[in-house]
Amino acid sequence: MNTLEIRDLQVRVADEEETGILKGANLVIRAGEIHALMGPNGSGKSTLSYALMGHPRYEVTGGDILLNGESILGLDPDERARRGLFLAMQYPIAISGVTLYSFLRAAVSARRGYKQTARDSGGGHRRSPLLPGREFRQEVRAEMAKLEMDRTFLRRYLNEGFSGGEKKRAEILQLALLKPEFAILDETDSGLDIDALRIVAAGVNRLQSELNMGLLIITHYQRILNYIHPDFVHIFYEGQIVKSDGAELAEKLEAEGYDWVREQFV
Amino acid sequence: MIKERTYYPSLTGKDKKLELPVNAAAVATLSAHYDEPVWLRESRRQAWELYAELPWPDRKEEPWRRVPLREFPLEARRLVLAPPQLSSLEELPPCWLLPDLPRAHCTGLLIHNNGGVCYADLEETAIDTGVVLQDLHQALESHEELIRQYWFRGAITRPDFNKFTALNAALWHGGTFVYVPAGVRVERPLRTLTGYDAGGGTGLHHTLIVAEKGAKVTVVQERYSLEAEPELNSEIVEIYAAAGAWIRYVSLQNWGKQRYTVSVQNAHLERDAHLVWGSGSLGGAATKEFLRTELRAPQAHALMRGFTFATGQQRLDQSTYQHHLAPNTYSDLLFRNVLRDQSRTVFYGMIRMEQEAQNSEGYQANNNLLLDKARAHSIPGLEIMANEVSCSHGATVSRLDPEQLFYLLSRAIPREEAEYLLVQGFLNPIIEHVPLAAIRAHLAEEISRRFWQAAS
Repeated sequence: MNTLEIRDLQVRVADEEETGILKGANLVIRAGEIHALMGPNGSGKSTLSYALMGHPRYEVTGGDILLNGESILGLDPDERARRGLFLAMQYPIAISGVTLYSFLRAAVSARRGYKQTARDSGGGHRRSPLLPGREFRQEVRAEMAKLEMDRTFLRRYLNEGFSGGEKKRAEILQLALLKPEFAILDETDSGLDIDALRIVAAGVNRLQSELNMGLLIITHYQRILNYIHPDFVHIFYEGQIVKSDGAELAEKLEAEGYDWVREQFV
Repeated sequence: MIKERTYYPSLTGKDKKLELPVNAAAVATLSAHYDEPVWLRESRRQAWELYAELPWPDRKEEPWRRVPLREFPLEARRLVLAPPQLSSLEELPPCWLLPDLPRAHCTGLLIHNNGGVCYADLEETAIDTGVVLQDLHQALESHEELIRQYWFRGAITRPDFNKFTALNAALWHGGTFVYVPAGVRVERPLRTLTGYDAGGGTGLHHTLIVAEKGAKVTVVQERYSLEAEPELNSEIVEIYAAAGAWIRYVSLQNWGKQRYTVSVQNAHLERDAHLVWGSGSLGGAATKEFLRTELRAPQAHALMRGFTFATGQQRLDQSTYQHHLAPNTYSDLLFRNVLRDQSRTVFYGMIRMEQEAQNSEGYQANNNLLLDKARAHSIPGLEIMANEVSCSHGATVSRLDPEQLFYLLSRAIPREEAEYLLVQGFLNPIIEHVPLAAIRAHLAEEISRRFWQAAS
């Protein structure tokens, strides 16, 4: 069975003060499981997500990350993604000049290991091969329809001028097309109004059951967990998981806040 | 109903072959060869005198400070007038042709090779309305007075601007003439190609574009060469937009590896005239460009967009000038350069607002993206004599953004492919202004080739 295992992970942020470091995080996610990671601001939740994906600013100083039993610490982010890891970012980056369509086509071609040389990359270039445009466009449009995204978004520059909700939908569109084995959703609910949250959550639930993904939902609030029901809830505090339980733990946090966590674990 | 389009083509170069050293005698020989009117002979003769008097530009002068003039083959040049005799367009060097560009997407096509015309056609309906797309020598027969009126009149396209413009005025051969009469709108682009194959000599092309009142036209000029040894190129482009005219001029150069170019281009805008000026520089060993827009009357409006992709040891150096001489004028310039290997680019940008230019707006930005140890110089400037204007300028020199790169990598895209996407994205807002999908695709292909060849 597919697993994502975080073993005693210690991370520091290169060239920065001691905020957001990890001090030995442990977690095992199996295919089909939904884990929620909750914690106050500055507890290191986002550090964990970036470290999992291999952001160069986050330096792993100890421990390991195993994907299906193999360490991925030595792998670049693109290789991790090709092996089936996905991070939906809290703040998706805007890239002017690159259309959503050309970005998606490059990404999905790489993830699926497409080897045929596309027509428009002839001339002896070493450009990576791209999926045939016609079939891919149809696939993208179908996914966009499910997320109630207007197809004109394909011609727009990636995340440029997108509203908060549009960016998050675009992240889920990428999730749908890249079909990862494990997905980390970092504060996906922030910036979403209630309608957008419903659509995004429905998309995640659908994909989760279709792909039997392992999911790690990182969130500050319980709100998204009303729509995506976790099997496990973990409290993250000062760079490690301090408490794990079932879905009811999220309700306790929502009702009582994080003060009791601070009192108990400081 | 789609009307059948008739083009009037002439395939073969009619010019006799001619080869001359660059000297005073060549001036008279050329005039005789083209059977030129007296005023033009005189204009050439005076320009030659200027040429003989003027020194080559000095590197102490700011616009020439970083131009490797010592590498330019300034002396012992020869003029060659040898347009190939073609029986079909396919006989042109394949890299000059765009097979994906359907003929019907352009209203006219004019191709020069080695200083003479080797192909020309123009749609019948355009001819009927008085539109001209012709070799300049030939056009002198039918439009002499008109050409004379605009002859070397631009602010910087004057023989005395520098020794290079004097050389062009004295010995120009091969020219593109575009004329659109008042009120005529040419809906599809006119395309012109200026080329020199291995048999070509010094390039001294002259392009003259005139749009009369309320006329509308798009001109795409492409430049190619295949010289076997270092060759000099001194080129002039003059654009005149009368009141209410709309001109889109897209100037693309993909010169051969051994071409050393000075290109002086000037646009003159009257009231309510609208110019979209796209400029793309890809080739050549070293290129110095002067690109100037003169906004001479109220509500003149100019958009200037440029890109370069410099590789290897290439030197691409541009001086741009947005000159506001009347109230309520508007100009906006954005030039983007990508550099790799040991290439260098230089951008001098100037906006000048004269006292008369109240309530005008002038904007200028130059962004440089460095991929290797290349170096970009960006020197923006403002000269403002009016007090009620809005101006801004900005220059950036940067490398690929690590956060953008991480985002693309996190989506499985391999590093080089991600870098390529970012380079493409950097240039796309400029390329967007190029008309015709086939030309944009061709440019994308050239950019791709430069990126992937150099990435190793």
